[in-house]
Amino acid sequence: MKISRRLYSYYLVWPALLIYSIFFVIPAIAGLYYSFTDWRLDRTSIQFIGWDNFERIFTDKTLLLAVKNTLIFAVATVIGKNIVGMALAIGLNMRLKTRNILRAIFYSPSILSILVISIVFTPMLRADGTINRILDAVGLHFLTQNWLTDPSVVIWTIALVSIWQQAGFQMAIYLAGLQSISKDYYEAATIDGAGAWRSFRSITLPLLTPAININLMLTLIGGLKVFSEVFVLTGGGPGNASQVVGTIILRSFGEGSWGLGTAVNTLLFAAVTVIAIPLLIFMRRKEVSE
Amino acid sequence: MSYSSKLAWRRYLVEGLLILASLLIILPLLIMIFGSFMNNSEVLKFSLRLPKEWIFSNYTTVFKEGGLGRAFLNGILITGVSSILNIFTSSAAAFILVRRETKTANFLYMFFFMGLIAPMSTITTIRVVQWLGFYGSITSVIFIYASLNTAFSVFLYSGFIRSIPKALDEVAFLEGANTLSVFFKIVTPLILPVNATVAIMVFMSVWNDITIPLYFLTDSSNWTMPLSVYNFYGKFSRDWNLIFADLVLTSLPVFILYLFCQKYIVSGLTAGAVKG
Repeated sequence: MKISRRLYSYYLVWPALLIYSIFFVIPAIAGLYYSFTDWRLDRTSIQFIGWDNFERIFTDKTLLLAVKNTLIFAVATVIGKNIVGMALAIGLNMRLKTRNILRAIFYSPSILSILVISIVFTPMLRADGTINRILDAVGLHFLTQNWLTDPSVVIWTIALVSIWQQAGFQMAIYLAGLQSISKDYYEAATIDGAGAWRSFRSITLPLLTPAININLMLTLIGGLKVFSEVFVLTGGGPGNASQVVGTIILRSFGEGSWGLGTAVNTLLFAAVTVIAIPLLIFMRRKEVSE
Repeated sequence: MSYSSKLAWRRYLVEGLLILASLLIILPLLIMIFGSFMNNSEVLKFSLRLPKEWIFSNYTTVFKEGGLGRAFLNGILITGVSSILNIFTSSAAAFILVRRETKTANFLYMFFFMGLIAPMSTITTIRVVQWLGFYGSITSVIFIYASLNTAFSVFLYSGFIRSIPKALDEVAFLEGANTLSVFFKIVTPLILPVNATVAIMVFMSVWNDITIPLYFLTDSSNWTMPLSVYNFYGKFSRDWNLIFADLVLTSLPVFILYLFCQKYIVSGLTAGAVKG
Protein backbone atom coordinates (compact mmCIF):
# COMPACT_ATOMS: atom_id res chain seq x y z
CA MET A 1 0.00 0.00 0.00
CA LYS A 2 1.27 3.44 -0.96
CA ILE A 3 -0.49 5.32 1.84
CA SER A 4 1.36 3.38 4.50
CA ARG A 5 4.69 4.99 3.66
CA ARG A 6 3.33 8.44 4.09
CA LEU A 7 1.22 7.71 7.14
CA TYR A 8 3.46 5.54 9.27
CA SER A 9 5.84 8.38 9.75
CA TYR A 10 9.33 7.74 11.04
CA TYR A 11 9.15 10.51 13.63
CA LEU A 12 7.73 8.00 16.12
CA VAL A 13 10.95 6.00 15.81
CA TRP A 14 13.18 8.97 16.61
CA PRO A 15 12.89 9.14 20.43
CA ALA A 16 13.83 5.46 20.89
CA LEU A 17 16.52 5.71 18.21
CA LEU A 18 18.09 8.80 19.81
CA ILE A 19 18.19 7.43 23.36
CA TYR A 20 19.44 4.05 22.18
CA SER A 21 22.09 5.56 19.91
CA ILE A 22 23.45 8.16 22.32
CA PHE A 23 23.66 5.95 25.39
CA PHE A 24 24.36 2.57 23.84
CA VAL A 25 25.49 2.53 20.22
CA ILE A 26 27.82 5.54 20.17
CA PRO A 27 29.67 4.39 23.31
CA ALA A 28 29.95 0.90 21.80
CA ILE A 29 31.45 2.23 18.57
CA ALA A 30 33.72 4.63 20.47
CA GLY A 31 34.79 1.63 22.56
CA LEU A 32 35.95 -0.15 19.43
CA TYR A 33 38.23 2.78 18.63
CA TYR A 34 39.54 3.34 22.17
CA SER A 35 40.48 -0.32 22.60
CA PHE A 36 43.36 0.39 20.20
CA THR A 37 44.65 3.31 22.28
CA ASP A 38 46.63 3.82 25.46
CA TRP A 39 43.81 5.89 26.94
CA ARG A 40 44.45 6.54 30.62
CA LEU A 41 42.64 8.67 33.13
CA ASP A 42 45.84 10.44 34.20
CA ARG A 43 47.05 11.30 30.71
CA THR A 44 45.82 14.08 28.49
CA SER A 45 46.97 12.75 25.12
CA ILE A 46 45.69 9.51 23.71
CA GLN A 47 47.91 7.49 21.36
CA PHE A 48 46.87 4.86 18.89
CA ILE A 49 48.79 1.71 19.84
CA GLY A 50 47.38 -0.96 17.55
CA TRP A 51 46.90 -4.42 19.00
CA ASP A 52 48.97 -3.83 22.16
CA ASN A 53 46.01 -4.01 24.54
CA PHE A 54 44.87 -7.29 23.05
CA GLU A 55 48.36 -8.72 23.15
CA ARG A 56 48.49 -7.82 26.81
CA ILE A 57 45.18 -9.55 27.48
CA PHE A 58 46.51 -12.77 25.99
CA THR A 59 49.87 -12.66 27.77
CA ASP A 60 48.88 -11.35 31.20
CA LYS A 61 48.08 -14.34 33.43
CA THR A 62 45.29 -12.65 35.34
CA LEU A 63 43.56 -11.34 32.24
CA LEU A 64 43.84 -14.70 30.54
CA LEU A 65 42.42 -16.41 33.62
CA ALA A 66 39.52 -13.95 33.59
CA VAL A 67 38.74 -14.86 29.98
CA LYS A 68 38.95 -18.56 30.82
CA ASN A 69 36.74 -18.16 33.90
CA THR A 70 34.16 -16.27 31.88
CA LEU A 71 34.01 -19.13 29.38
CA ILE A 72 33.79 -21.77 32.13
CA PHE A 73 31.01 -19.82 33.81
CA ALA A 74 29.11 -19.32 30.55
CA VAL A 75 29.29 -22.96 29.47
CA ALA A 76 28.50 -24.32 32.94
CA THR A 77 25.48 -22.05 33.42
CA VAL A 78 24.13 -22.62 29.89
CA ILE A 79 24.15 -26.37 30.50
CA GLY A 80 23.00 -26.20 34.12
CA LYS A 81 20.21 -23.66 33.73
CA ASN A 82 18.79 -25.35 30.66
CA ILE A 83 18.86 -28.92 31.92
CA VAL A 84 17.46 -27.98 35.33
CA GLY A 85 14.96 -25.56 33.81
CA MET A 86 13.71 -28.07 31.27
CA ALA A 87 13.46 -30.88 33.83
CA LEU A 88 11.46 -28.65 36.17
CA ALA A 89 9.21 -27.52 33.33
CA ILE A 90 8.46 -31.06 32.19
CA GLY A 91 7.68 -32.12 35.75
CA LEU A 92 5.54 -29.08 36.42
CA ASN A 93 3.65 -29.49 33.16
CA MET A 94 2.12 -32.69 34.56
CA ARG A 95 -1.18 -32.66 36.41
CA LEU A 96 0.25 -32.37 39.92
CA LYS A 97 -1.73 -31.15 42.92
CA THR A 98 0.99 -28.80 44.09
CA ARG A 99 2.10 -27.55 40.70
CA ASN A 100 1.05 -23.91 41.01
CA ILE A 101 2.79 -23.39 44.30
CA LEU A 102 5.86 -25.31 43.10
CA ARG A 103 6.06 -23.18 39.95
CA ALA A 104 5.95 -20.04 42.08
CA ILE A 105 8.65 -21.37 44.42
CA PHE A 106 11.07 -22.32 41.64
CA TYR A 107 10.51 -19.02 39.86
CA SER A 108 10.86 -16.85 42.97
CA PRO A 109 14.69 -16.55 43.25
CA SER A 110 14.92 -15.09 39.76
CA ILE A 111 12.83 -12.05 40.68
CA LEU A 112 15.29 -11.14 43.44
CA SER A 113 18.46 -9.15 42.96
CA ILE A 114 21.64 -11.13 42.30
CA LEU A 115 23.04 -9.04 45.12
CA VAL A 116 20.50 -10.46 47.58
CA ILE A 117 21.10 -14.07 46.55
CA SER A 118 24.88 -13.69 46.60
CA ILE A 119 24.91 -12.17 50.07
CA VAL A 120 22.58 -14.88 51.41
CA PHE A 121 24.88 -17.58 50.07
CA THR A 122 28.13 -16.03 51.32
CA PRO A 123 27.95 -17.30 54.93
CA MET A 124 26.41 -20.61 53.87
CA LEU A 125 29.34 -21.35 51.55
CA ARG A 126 32.04 -20.90 54.18
CA ALA A 127 34.20 -23.88 55.18
CA ASP A 128 32.15 -24.22 58.39
CA GLY A 129 28.97 -22.97 56.71
CA THR A 130 25.49 -24.39 56.42
CA ILE A 131 26.11 -26.29 53.19
CA ASN A 132 29.13 -28.21 54.43
CA ARG A 133 27.37 -28.93 57.76
CA ILE A 134 24.37 -30.37 55.91
CA LEU A 135 26.60 -32.47 53.64
CA ASP A 136 28.40 -33.83 56.72
CA ALA A 137 25.13 -34.55 58.47
CA VAL A 138 23.74 -36.65 55.62
CA GLY A 139 26.99 -38.60 55.19
CA LEU A 140 28.20 -36.84 52.04
CA HIS A 141 31.40 -35.67 53.68
CA PHE A 142 33.39 -36.23 50.49
CA LEU A 143 31.36 -33.49 48.77
CA THR A 144 32.34 -30.76 51.22
CA GLN A 145 34.51 -28.03 49.72
CA ASN A 146 36.09 -24.76 50.53
CA TRP A 147 33.51 -23.36 48.19
CA LEU A 148 34.66 -19.76 47.97
CA THR A 149 38.28 -19.99 49.11
CA ASP A 150 39.63 -22.87 47.02
CA PRO A 151 40.92 -21.31 43.78
CA SER A 152 40.15 -24.44 41.76
CA VAL A 153 36.45 -24.62 42.67
CA VAL A 154 35.43 -21.01 43.21
CA ILE A 155 34.26 -20.23 39.66
CA TRP A 156 32.19 -23.44 39.67
CA THR A 157 30.62 -22.43 42.98
CA ILE A 158 29.62 -19.08 41.54
CA ALA A 159 28.12 -20.88 38.52
CA LEU A 160 26.14 -23.15 40.87
CA VAL A 161 24.72 -20.14 42.74
CA SER A 162 23.73 -18.60 39.42
CA ILE A 163 22.04 -21.81 38.28
CA TRP A 164 20.25 -22.02 41.65
CA GLN A 165 18.91 -18.51 41.15
CA GLN A 166 17.98 -18.46 37.49
CA ALA A 167 17.00 -21.96 36.41
CA GLY A 168 13.46 -21.00 37.45
CA PHE A 169 13.38 -18.31 34.79
CA GLN A 170 14.39 -20.83 32.11
CA MET A 171 11.70 -23.11 33.53
CA ALA A 172 9.06 -20.42 32.93
CA ILE A 173 10.04 -20.08 29.27
CA TYR A 174 10.10 -23.86 28.78
CA LEU A 175 6.69 -24.13 30.45
CA ALA A 176 5.30 -21.55 28.06
CA GLY A 177 6.74 -23.59 25.20
CA LEU A 178 5.38 -26.89 26.52
CA GLN A 179 1.90 -25.43 26.89
CA SER A 180 1.79 -24.61 23.22
CA ILE A 181 2.28 -28.32 22.30
CA SER A 182 -1.03 -30.04 21.67
CA LYS A 183 -1.85 -33.05 23.88
CA ASP A 184 -3.03 -34.91 20.77
CA TYR A 185 0.54 -35.65 19.69
CA TYR A 186 1.26 -37.46 22.92
CA GLU A 187 -1.97 -39.45 22.77
CA ALA A 188 -1.23 -40.52 19.23
CA ALA A 189 2.31 -41.50 20.22
CA THR A 190 1.06 -43.52 23.19
CA ILE A 191 -1.39 -45.38 20.95
CA ASP A 192 1.50 -46.14 18.61
CA GLY A 193 3.32 -47.63 21.56
CA ALA A 194 5.91 -44.92 22.17
CA GLY A 195 7.41 -44.78 25.66
CA ALA A 196 8.16 -41.66 27.68
CA TRP A 197 11.71 -41.28 26.33
CA ARG A 198 10.59 -41.75 22.73
CA SER A 199 7.80 -39.17 23.13
CA PHE A 200 10.27 -36.75 24.66
CA ARG A 201 12.75 -37.17 21.82
CA SER A 202 10.31 -37.23 18.93
CA ILE A 203 7.66 -34.76 20.12
CA THR A 204 8.76 -32.60 23.01
CA LEU A 205 12.29 -31.72 21.90
CA PRO A 206 11.52 -30.74 18.27
CA LEU A 207 8.40 -28.76 19.17
CA LEU A 208 10.21 -27.05 21.99
CA THR A 209 12.92 -25.73 19.63
CA PRO A 210 11.86 -22.05 19.78
CA ALA A 211 11.96 -22.11 23.59
CA ILE A 212 15.28 -23.98 23.58
CA ASN A 213 16.80 -21.45 21.18
CA ILE A 214 15.68 -18.41 23.12
CA ASN A 215 16.89 -19.99 26.38
CA LEU A 216 20.28 -20.91 24.93
CA MET A 217 20.68 -17.34 23.68
CA LEU A 218 19.64 -15.75 26.96
CA THR A 219 21.79 -17.98 29.16
CA LEU A 220 24.81 -17.74 26.88
CA ILE A 221 24.74 -13.97 26.54
CA GLY A 222 23.96 -13.58 30.25
CA GLY A 223 26.78 -15.97 31.11
CA LEU A 224 29.39 -14.10 29.08
CA LYS A 225 28.30 -10.81 30.63
CA VAL A 226 28.56 -12.15 34.22
CA PHE A 227 29.54 -9.55 36.77
CA SER A 228 27.36 -9.08 39.86
CA GLU A 229 27.59 -12.64 41.22
CA VAL A 230 31.38 -12.57 41.15
CA PHE A 231 31.57 -9.02 42.41
CA VAL A 232 29.46 -9.77 45.51
CA LEU A 233 30.47 -13.37 46.28
CA THR A 234 34.25 -13.10 45.94
CA GLY A 235 35.21 -9.75 44.40
CA GLY A 236 37.32 -11.82 41.98
CA GLY A 237 39.21 -13.63 44.73
CA PRO A 238 40.75 -15.54 46.38
CA GLY A 239 43.75 -13.80 44.84
CA ASN A 240 42.51 -13.43 41.28
CA ALA A 241 41.09 -16.94 41.06
CA SER A 242 37.55 -15.92 40.14
CA GLN A 243 38.17 -12.83 38.03
CA VAL A 244 35.90 -12.61 35.00
CA VAL A 245 35.74 -10.14 32.14
CA GLY A 246 33.13 -8.06 33.98
CA THR A 247 35.24 -7.62 37.11
CA ILE A 248 38.37 -6.91 35.07
CA ILE A 249 36.55 -4.04 33.36
CA LEU A 250 35.62 -2.58 36.75
CA ARG A 251 39.21 -2.96 37.93
CA SER A 252 40.67 -1.29 34.83
CA PHE A 253 38.15 1.49 35.28
CA GLY A 254 39.19 1.95 38.91
CA GLU A 255 42.89 1.91 38.02
CA GLY A 256 42.33 4.47 35.28
CA SER A 257 43.55 2.19 32.47
CA TRP A 258 40.55 2.93 30.34
CA GLY A 259 42.06 1.84 27.03
CA LEU A 260 42.70 -1.63 28.39
CA GLY A 261 39.24 -1.75 29.99
CA THR A 262 37.51 -0.95 26.72
CA ALA A 263 39.71 -3.51 24.94
CA VAL A 264 38.50 -6.20 27.35
CA ASN A 265 34.97 -5.02 26.65
CA THR A 266 35.56 -5.19 22.90
CA LEU A 267 36.79 -8.73 23.26
CA LEU A 268 33.60 -9.60 25.12
CA PHE A 269 31.57 -7.93 22.38
CA ALA A 270 33.39 -9.95 19.72
CA ALA A 271 32.92 -13.20 21.62
CA VAL A 272 29.21 -12.67 22.19
CA THR A 273 28.63 -11.64 18.57
CA VAL A 274 30.59 -14.52 17.08
CA ILE A 275 28.61 -17.01 19.14
CA ALA A 276 25.20 -15.35 19.08
CA ILE A 277 24.84 -14.25 15.44
CA PRO A 278 24.94 -17.74 13.89
CA LEU A 279 22.47 -18.89 16.53
CA LEU A 280 20.26 -15.93 15.69
CA ILE A 281 20.34 -16.58 11.95
CA PHE A 282 19.54 -20.22 12.63
CA MET A 283 16.58 -19.17 14.80
CA ARG A 284 15.19 -16.78 12.19
CA ARG A 285 15.43 -19.42 9.47
CA LYS A 286 13.53 -21.83 11.70
CA GLU A 287 10.80 -19.26 12.27
CA VAL A 288 10.31 -18.72 8.57
CA SER A 289 10.10 -22.40 7.78
CA GLU A 290 7.43 -22.99 10.40
CA MET B 1 -6.25 -49.91 34.32
CA SER B 2 -2.74 -51.04 35.04
CA TYR B 3 -1.45 -48.47 32.57
CA SER B 4 -3.25 -45.60 34.24
CA SER B 5 -2.15 -46.72 37.69
CA LYS B 6 1.40 -46.79 36.39
CA LEU B 7 0.92 -43.22 35.19
CA ALA B 8 -0.50 -42.17 38.56
CA TRP B 9 2.48 -43.76 40.28
CA ARG B 10 4.87 -41.90 38.09
CA ARG B 11 3.07 -38.67 38.85
CA TYR B 12 3.37 -39.18 42.63
CA LEU B 13 7.06 -39.93 42.24
CA VAL B 14 7.64 -36.77 40.19
CA GLU B 15 5.64 -34.70 42.64
CA GLY B 16 7.62 -36.06 45.59
CA LEU B 17 10.94 -35.32 43.90
CA LEU B 18 9.86 -31.80 42.96
CA ILE B 19 8.70 -31.05 46.50
CA LEU B 20 12.08 -32.24 47.82
CA ALA B 21 13.86 -30.08 45.24
CA SER B 22 11.76 -27.07 46.18
CA LEU B 23 13.19 -27.28 49.71
CA LEU B 24 16.56 -26.36 48.18
CA ILE B 25 14.99 -23.08 47.10
CA ILE B 26 12.91 -22.42 50.20
CA LEU B 27 15.52 -23.13 52.89
CA PRO B 28 18.06 -20.41 52.02
CA LEU B 29 15.26 -17.87 51.67
CA LEU B 30 13.78 -18.86 55.03
CA ILE B 31 17.20 -18.65 56.70
CA MET B 32 17.33 -15.06 55.44
CA ILE B 33 13.79 -14.17 56.53
CA PHE B 34 13.95 -15.81 59.99
CA GLY B 35 17.49 -14.49 60.46
CA SER B 36 16.27 -10.95 59.92
CA PHE B 37 14.25 -11.19 63.17
CA MET B 38 17.02 -12.70 65.34
CA ASN B 39 19.57 -11.07 67.62
CA ASN B 40 23.11 -10.84 66.30
CA SER B 41 24.52 -13.91 68.02
CA GLU B 42 21.62 -16.23 67.25
CA VAL B 43 21.75 -15.44 63.54
CA LEU B 44 25.42 -16.49 63.23
CA LYS B 45 24.51 -20.20 63.23
CA PHE B 46 23.01 -19.73 59.75
CA SER B 47 20.77 -22.73 60.21
CA LEU B 48 17.06 -22.99 59.74
CA ARG B 49 15.27 -22.22 62.98
CA LEU B 50 12.60 -19.86 64.16
CA PRO B 51 13.93 -16.89 66.11
CA LYS B 52 13.70 -17.40 69.88
CA GLU B 53 12.35 -13.92 70.14
CA TRP B 54 11.08 -11.93 67.15
CA ILE B 55 13.03 -8.68 67.03
CA PHE B 56 11.16 -6.31 64.75
CA SER B 57 13.43 -3.41 65.63
CA ASN B 58 16.12 -4.84 63.29
CA TYR B 59 14.07 -3.36 60.49
CA THR B 60 13.81 0.11 61.95
CA THR B 61 17.53 0.06 62.78
CA VAL B 62 18.39 -0.85 59.22
CA PHE B 63 16.11 1.78 57.82
CA LYS B 64 17.84 4.48 59.85
CA GLU B 65 21.45 3.27 59.69
CA GLY B 66 21.38 2.25 56.05
CA GLY B 67 19.72 5.45 54.84
CA LEU B 68 17.19 3.31 53.08
CA GLY B 69 14.44 5.93 52.93
CA ARG B 70 16.41 8.04 50.49
CA ALA B 71 17.58 5.00 48.53
CA PHE B 72 14.01 3.76 48.25
CA LEU B 73 12.81 7.07 46.79
CA ASN B 74 15.78 7.20 44.40
CA GLY B 75 14.99 3.67 43.28
CA ILE B 76 11.33 4.46 42.69
CA LEU B 77 12.22 7.60 40.74
CA ILE B 78 14.86 5.92 38.57
CA THR B 79 12.88 2.76 37.97
CA GLY B 80 9.57 4.55 37.40
CA VAL B 81 10.78 7.22 34.98
CA SER B 82 13.05 4.90 32.99
CA SER B 83 10.24 2.33 32.63
CA ILE B 84 7.76 4.95 31.40
CA LEU B 85 10.29 6.48 29.03
CA ASN B 86 11.15 3.05 27.72
CA ILE B 87 7.50 2.05 27.22
CA PHE B 88 6.61 5.16 25.21
CA THR B 89 9.67 5.24 22.99
CA SER B 90 9.92 1.50 22.34
CA SER B 91 6.27 0.88 21.57
CA ALA B 92 6.12 3.88 19.20
CA ALA B 93 9.27 2.70 17.41
CA ALA B 94 8.08 -0.90 17.19
CA PHE B 95 4.73 0.25 15.77
CA ILE B 96 6.32 2.07 12.84
CA LEU B 97 9.00 -0.54 12.17
CA VAL B 98 6.48 -3.38 12.06
CA ARG B 99 4.02 -1.51 9.85
CA ARG B 100 6.38 -0.08 7.27
CA GLU B 101 7.88 -3.34 6.07
CA THR B 102 10.57 -1.50 4.07
CA LYS B 103 14.29 -2.25 3.88
CA THR B 104 15.07 0.71 6.12
CA ALA B 105 12.54 -0.48 8.67
CA ASN B 106 14.03 -3.94 8.61
CA PHE B 107 17.51 -2.58 9.02
CA LEU B 108 16.44 -0.43 11.97
CA TYR B 109 14.78 -3.44 13.58
CA MET B 110 18.04 -5.39 13.36
CA PHE B 111 19.89 -2.30 14.61
CA PHE B 112 17.75 -2.35 17.74
CA PHE B 113 17.96 -6.12 17.97
CA MET B 114 21.76 -5.98 18.20
CA GLY B 115 21.29 -4.34 21.58
CA LEU B 116 20.02 -7.66 22.93
CA ILE B 117 23.37 -9.20 22.11
CA ALA B 118 26.05 -6.54 22.44
CA PRO B 119 27.36 -5.84 25.92
CA MET B 120 27.31 -2.25 27.04
CA SER B 121 30.60 -0.36 26.79
CA THR B 122 30.65 1.08 30.28
CA ILE B 123 33.76 3.22 30.24
CA THR B 124 32.96 5.03 27.00
CA THR B 125 29.35 5.52 28.14
CA ILE B 126 30.76 7.35 31.16
CA ARG B 127 32.67 9.60 28.78
CA VAL B 128 29.57 10.34 26.76
CA VAL B 129 27.61 11.16 29.90
CA GLN B 130 30.46 13.34 31.20
CA TRP B 131 30.53 15.15 27.88
CA LEU B 132 26.79 15.74 28.10
CA GLY B 133 27.46 17.16 31.55
CA PHE B 134 25.31 15.02 33.82
CA TYR B 135 27.66 12.26 35.01
CA GLY B 136 26.73 11.08 38.50
CA SER B 137 23.17 12.34 38.29
CA ILE B 138 19.93 10.38 38.53
CA THR B 139 18.97 11.72 35.08
CA SER B 140 21.95 10.00 33.46
CA VAL B 141 21.04 6.68 35.00
CA ILE B 142 17.42 7.01 33.85
CA PHE B 143 18.52 7.50 30.23
CA ILE B 144 21.02 4.66 30.43
CA TYR B 145 18.43 2.21 31.72
CA ALA B 146 15.93 3.36 29.10
CA SER B 147 18.50 2.76 26.36
CA LEU B 148 19.69 -0.59 27.75
CA ASN B 149 16.13 -1.91 27.72
CA THR B 150 15.19 -0.54 24.30
CA ALA B 151 16.28 -3.67 22.42
CA PHE B 152 14.31 -6.05 24.58
CA SER B 153 11.19 -3.88 24.59
CA VAL B 154 11.18 -3.22 20.83
CA PHE B 155 11.52 -6.99 20.36
CA LEU B 156 8.54 -7.72 22.65
CA TYR B 157 6.33 -4.96 21.19
CA SER B 158 7.06 -5.99 17.61
CA GLY B 159 5.85 -9.52 18.28
CA PHE B 160 2.53 -8.22 19.60
CA ILE B 161 1.94 -5.46 17.10
CA ARG B 162 2.51 -7.88 14.22
CA SER B 163 -0.51 -9.82 15.46
CA ILE B 164 -2.78 -6.75 15.27
CA PRO B 165 -4.42 -6.55 11.82
CA LYS B 166 -3.14 -3.66 9.73
CA ALA B 167 -6.67 -3.08 8.44
CA LEU B 168 -7.60 -1.59 11.81
CA ASP B 169 -5.30 1.39 11.42
CA GLU B 170 -5.88 1.69 7.68
CA VAL B 171 -9.56 2.35 8.33
CA ALA B 172 -8.58 5.07 10.75
CA PHE B 173 -6.22 6.58 8.18
CA LEU B 174 -9.02 6.70 5.62
CA GLU B 175 -11.10 8.59 8.15
CA GLY B 176 -8.33 11.18 8.23
CA ALA B 177 -6.42 10.26 11.35
CA ASN B 178 -2.64 10.85 11.49
CA THR B 179 0.16 8.57 12.72
CA LEU B 180 0.15 9.92 16.22
CA SER B 181 -3.59 9.59 16.79
CA VAL B 182 -3.68 6.11 15.26
CA PHE B 183 -0.85 5.12 17.61
CA PHE B 184 -2.52 6.51 20.72
CA LYS B 185 -6.17 5.75 19.92
CA ILE B 186 -5.89 2.36 18.24
CA VAL B 187 -2.58 0.69 18.95
CA THR B 188 -1.94 1.80 22.52
CA PRO B 189 -5.21 0.40 23.94
CA LEU B 190 -4.57 -2.92 22.21
CA ILE B 191 -1.05 -3.28 23.57
CA LEU B 192 -1.93 -2.42 27.18
CA PRO B 193 -1.11 -5.95 28.39
CA VAL B 194 2.33 -5.75 26.74
CA ASN B 195 2.87 -2.40 28.41
CA ALA B 196 2.26 -4.17 31.70
CA THR B 197 4.72 -6.93 30.80
CA VAL B 198 7.41 -4.50 29.72
CA ALA B 199 6.82 -2.30 32.76
CA ILE B 200 7.26 -5.25 35.10
CA MET B 201 10.30 -6.69 33.34
CA VAL B 202 12.02 -3.30 33.16
CA PHE B 203 11.04 -2.45 36.72
CA MET B 204 12.44 -5.70 38.07
CA SER B 205 15.72 -5.56 36.19
CA VAL B 206 16.31 -1.89 36.99
CA TRP B 207 15.32 -2.17 40.64
CA ASN B 208 17.60 -5.17 41.21
CA ASP B 209 20.62 -3.87 39.32
CA ILE B 210 23.86 -2.83 41.00
CA THR B 211 26.16 -2.48 37.99
CA ILE B 212 24.94 0.85 36.63
CA PRO B 213 24.76 2.63 40.01
CA LEU B 214 28.23 1.30 40.79
CA TYR B 215 29.70 3.02 37.73
CA PHE B 216 27.40 5.98 37.33
CA LEU B 217 26.15 7.11 40.75
CA THR B 218 29.22 8.59 42.34
CA ASP B 219 27.35 10.41 45.09
CA SER B 220 25.85 8.15 47.78
CA SER B 221 22.80 10.42 48.12
CA ASN B 222 21.77 9.23 44.65
CA TRP B 223 22.16 5.51 45.38
CA THR B 224 19.41 2.98 44.86
CA MET B 225 18.50 0.33 47.42
CA PRO B 226 20.73 -2.54 46.27
CA LEU B 227 23.81 -0.34 46.21
CA SER B 228 23.02 0.99 49.69
CA VAL B 229 22.59 -2.58 50.81
CA TYR B 230 25.94 -3.54 49.32
CA ASN B 231 27.58 -0.67 51.15
CA PHE B 232 25.80 -1.59 54.37
CA TYR B 233 26.94 -5.21 53.94
CA GLY B 234 30.54 -4.02 53.83
CA LYS B 235 30.17 -1.82 56.89
CA PHE B 236 28.10 -4.09 59.15
CA SER B 237 29.70 -7.36 58.14
CA ARG B 238 29.18 -8.83 61.62
CA ASP B 239 25.53 -7.98 62.14
CA TRP B 240 23.95 -10.58 59.92
CA ASN B 241 20.52 -10.00 61.42
CA LEU B 242 20.67 -6.42 60.14
CA ILE B 243 22.11 -7.50 56.79
CA PHE B 244 19.27 -9.99 56.33
CA ALA B 245 16.69 -7.37 57.30
CA ASP B 246 18.27 -5.09 54.72
CA LEU B 247 18.04 -7.80 52.05
CA VAL B 248 14.38 -8.49 52.85
CA LEU B 249 13.55 -4.79 52.59
CA THR B 250 15.23 -4.50 49.17
CA SER B 251 13.38 -7.55 47.91
CA LEU B 252 9.95 -6.48 49.17
CA PRO B 253 8.99 -4.11 46.32
CA VAL B 254 9.73 -6.63 43.53
CA PHE B 255 8.15 -9.41 45.53
CA ILE B 256 4.91 -7.45 45.95
CA LEU B 257 4.97 -6.48 42.27
CA TYR B 258 5.44 -10.14 41.37
CA LEU B 259 2.48 -11.24 43.50
CA PHE B 260 0.13 -8.81 41.78
CA CYS B 261 1.44 -9.12 38.25
CA GLN B 262 2.33 -12.80 37.87
CA LYS B 263 -0.01 -13.35 34.95
CA TYR B 264 1.56 -10.56 32.90
CA ILE B 265 5.03 -12.01 33.35
CA VAL B 266 3.94 -15.42 32.14
CA SER B 267 1.82 -14.14 29.25
CA GLY B 268 4.63 -11.81 28.24
CA LEU B 269 7.14 -14.63 28.19
CA THR B 270 4.78 -16.83 26.21
CA ALA B 271 3.91 -14.31 23.56
CA GLY B 272 7.17 -12.45 23.37
CA ALA B 273 9.82 -15.07 23.80
CA VAL B 274 8.34 -18.29 22.59
CA LYS B 275 5.93 -17.27 19.84
CA GLY B 276 7.43 -13.87 18.97
